[in-house]
Amino acid sequence: MTHACQILLTIQSVFESATVESEKVNALTFRFIIAGSFIFLLVAGLLVYVSVKFRARLADAEPIQARRNIKAEVAMIGIPFLMVAFFFYLTIKTMEATEPSVYNQKPDIIIIAHQWWWEARYPAKNAVTANEIHIPVQKKILLRLNSADVIHDWWVPSFGPKMDMVPGINNYLWLYIRKPGIYEGTCSEFCGAQHAWMRIRVIAQDTVDFQKWLTAAAMPARQPATAPALSGRAIFMGLTCAGCHAVRGTIARGRAGPDLTHLASRKTLLSGKMENTDENLGKWLSHPQKIKPGAHMPDFILNKDTLTALVTYLHTLQ
Amino acid sequence: MENKLMIKLVVGTEALFFVALIFGYVYFAFKPGYDPRVLRLLHTRSTGIFSLFLFSSSFTFWRAAVNFDKGKPSRLKVWLAITIALGCLFLFGQGREYFNLFRENLTISSNLFGTSFFTLTGFHGLHVFIGLIMLSIVLLLAFLGDLDRPGSSVIETVGIYWHFVDVVWFFVFSLVYVLPHFLK
Amino acid sequence: MEPVHLPRPQSELPDLNISNGQGLLQWISTVDHKQIGIMYLLFSVLFLCIGGLAALLFRIQLALPNNAFIGPEMFSQLFTMHGTTMIFFVLTPGILGFSVYFTPLMIGANEMAFPRLNAFSLWIAFFGALLLYFSFFNGGAPDGGWFNYAPLNEKQYASGNGIDYYCIGLLLGGIGTASTAINLIVTILQCRVKTMGLHHLSVFVWMVLVNSFLILAAFPAINAALCMLLLDRQLQAHFFDLSAGGSPLLWQHLFWLFGHPEVYILILPSFGILSEVFQVFSRKPIFGYGLLVGSGIVIALLAFGVWMHHMFAAGLGITINGFFSASSLLIGVATGVKIFSWIATMWGGSLRFTTAMMFACAFLVEFTIGGLSGISFAIVPIDWQLTDTYYVVAHIHYVFIGGSLFGLLAGLFYWFPKMSGRMIRDRNGKIFFWLFVAGFNMTFLVQHALGAMGMSRRVYTYPDVPGYGTLNLISTCGAFIMGISVLYLLYLLIQSKRYGKEAPGDPWDAYTLEWMTPSPPALKNFEALPPVHSERPFRDLKIERQEK
Repeated sequence: MTHACQILLTIQSVFESATVESEKVNALTFRFIIAGSFIFLLVAGLLVYVSVKFRARLADAEPIQARRNIKAEVAMIGIPFLMVAFFFYLTIKTMEATEPSVYNQKPDIIIIAHQWWWEARYPAKNAVTANEIHIPVQKKILLRLNSADVIHDWWVPSFGPKMDMVPGINNYLWLYIRKPGIYEGTCSEFCGAQHAWMRIRVIAQDTVDFQKWLTAAAMPARQPATAPALSGRAIFMGLTCAGCHAVRGTIARGRAGPDLTHLASRKTLLSGKMENTDENLGKWLSHPQKIKPGAHMPDFILNKDTLTALVTYLHTLQ
Repeated sequence: MENKLMIKLVVGTEALFFVALIFGYVYFAFKPGYDPRVLRLLHTRSTGIFSLFLFSSSFTFWRAAVNFDKGKPSRLKVWLAITIALGCLFLFGQGREYFNLFRENLTISSNLFGTSFFTLTGFHGLHVFIGLIMLSIVLLLAFLGDLDRPGSSVIETVGIYWHFVDVVWFFVFSLVYVLPHFLK
Repeated sequence: MEPVHLPRPQSELPDLNISNGQGLLQWISTVDHKQIGIMYLLFSVLFLCIGGLAALLFRIQLALPNNAFIGPEMFSQLFTMHGTTMIFFVLTPGILGFSVYFTPLMIGANEMAFPRLNAFSLWIAFFGALLLYFSFFNGGAPDGGWFNYAPLNEKQYASGNGIDYYCIGLLLGGIGTASTAINLIVTILQCRVKTMGLHHLSVFVWMVLVNSFLILAAFPAINAALCMLLLDRQLQAHFFDLSAGGSPLLWQHLFWLFGHPEVYILILPSFGILSEVFQVFSRKPIFGYGLLVGSGIVIALLAFGVWMHHMFAAGLGITINGFFSASSLLIGVATGVKIFSWIATMWGGSLRFTTAMMFACAFLVEFTIGGLSGISFAIVPIDWQLTDTYYVVAHIHYVFIGGSLFGLLAGLFYWFPKMSGRMIRDRNGKIFFWLFVAGFNMTFLVQHALGAMGMSRRVYTYPDVPGYGTLNLISTCGAFIMGISVLYLLYLLIQSKRYGKEAPGDPWDAYTLEWMTPSPPALKNFEALPPVHSERPFRDLKIERQEK
């Protein structure tokens, strides 16, 4: 399982910009690194120089009791002041460039954080998905970020700014992704026991692929064709599954857990915890609390046939 | 001198505590969950009368301090006793107000207003209560003869605290009871 | 010598009837500021070991990807207790210990202004700490992180008793801290030897004074927040409960209105200690006395205008972010001034590299790293990237350890002879120094990189992403080196106290009044004091004696 995860994950550091916003932030970051290194080397260099030059020697007389030096004092206030003033100017400029006003703008994607998964809603087509978030590239996208319970935080390092998701408050983030690809991120505000497994997987696609995906995602769930799958569906609707999960086109309308309408088309399960295979799905269904302790899905006692039927049904939800 | 500086610092830090509570109260008054209609449940007039008791206790305490400085212990005791009685009356008034509100089903857990109202006035009441304990100790000391001659800083020290409690109530009362009448 | 002046507490507390021969009872019942100071330091060391143990446990969990050494619930409790303990029950008693021990000595007083209040403050803070730890036996420790954000701290999401213990423990600790602050202010302002003006105070005493005001102004905010949280949890009030219209952000405002000043509360006395160490071991007066004191005051004032830089990622808008960015950057300038002043103090001096001085010099490097990463958080777009990641974990540790703790350790090695009457062998001190510095940098330097690579803080495990495993393993090894070095320090202290060479009254040829007393000082600090006409009164006295 670990190995499989490794294949699925691609790591991006904050320095690999994938969006226009991130490029702007990094331009500022690099300038800061240069200025910071200058200050650090200055302090370290002075310290080394002073330590070597003024080390006490035997029978040293008491050194000159100098208390102040106006020129040095002006320099030690003035130069840092000018430096921070410069960075303040850059800060304001970069903030305005990366996060312009969202007044009267409609969000393209609404992302709602839950303990411990991500819900993504696409208002244009009424599509809903979870954890694997598809975003079109080469287009300025406005995300609206909310939380259903505690404070979470949206952070994809190669996208630049992160944003808290505070219950009751609408926060917004602009994105202009340059290239298609898979971008990893994670929840960045401690949100309870499973904060670690609240990873984000953004699938950036060009407009054609994205529209294709969106149309498919907006469709209701496929009718299962085989007998085991049908019995799986009956079990799903009969047990409490339907109370928390939605499968569009059926009576399952719960919103406490991830929308499962197209579960089988996702690559990962449980916000990046494991690969989406029948085996993993079965493991999860049989003892959720062992795989993700603290998760809000309780342990059910399922016999082997029930489990197989459920997995078969969920597998059909392409 | 040490005592006076000490109590001034205590009062300073306590004042900031009340600023935080008042900040919370005002902040909630502008939140969507806040229902201004509950303000009608408050009994401005009776609470106003009981407030007058508290404000006048500052005056009686001042009289006590003056008599202490003049070296008149028996008058000191009388004025101190009156101060304590007025403080108790105020607390009784606050209890009565709370009781009425509970009967109207307004408690700390019923809504935002209840939460911030009971917290703010409750913490003030707690401070009055602590002040009364201090005053009682001073009165006891006076009866034991410790304050027969001027010179001790205890009266002045307790006085600074007691006046502070009064001033806080002035702000709280104005904010919670009086101000809404002008904002209608 | 001019006429003898007896400081006031002596005349007011003529017969405390205390002697040094009563054993444990003596320590428990003492109101002597020196014994209380030492107990504060022992309190600090005890919880340093406990908080450090918690850190080692979760560093083991984080050493490997997908590790299952401890589960998520225990992990949350451990990192919460680690942070809370280190801040409130290690660094705070550490700075208070040195403050109450040396403030009266440095200003020529025989006691604190309120000796009994002093004892009360110590014990209530200590019992607050014990109460916090009692939570482990009553349904689990708090698990919301040291800043314990709403609504995760509400009953709905944290149904155990841990958060309640957190509230009460911190309230008790806060009462102790605030009453000590009051005590220190009154002592400094009213119990100085008569000839000592405010411009004669040593920088350490100045920093203690500024710091005490900072405590009095900052703690009410957290006390209010803790009371509100307790009311929410116990009486179903709605301060932070969104469903009834409460506000989770109110907690953040109140907490950081306290929390950011708290960071300076923990560092200003260290700045003071370092100023003493730098001047004594450079054999020069402190460079820019006014500048150092002034920048300390500026930092204290600005501390109340920077709290929202902890909330840059909360979506508060460009205007607010810009304002708090500016104020935070200005603090960077005020702190930079101090760094350069200390280097200027060393410039042209005759430097003696004792262990205390080594810690002071290492501080300059480590704290500059912490300060610079701090400035990167004042630059809002960089903050958006790096806040709540391992980069911020690295930053706070460079500030709290590289800054506050290095300052306290410099103070420990500087003042240990005075407090214990014994010397620590310098060679052994330096072994500890190098072990600790190596372990510290090994643990936290790599965490900057982890943050930039996208590892968010407070995760109980992480996927096997290239680089994560290696860097985390390095960090864990560093943590164990730090752990070993702390054990070595304990051994060193006990061994020196027992078998160390006896310390003379003035082993470092120092400048301030505490070195005038024998080591350790007598119960009554001073019998006679020289007149003070500079901030280095003991040096003046020594020169006067020489001339005679």
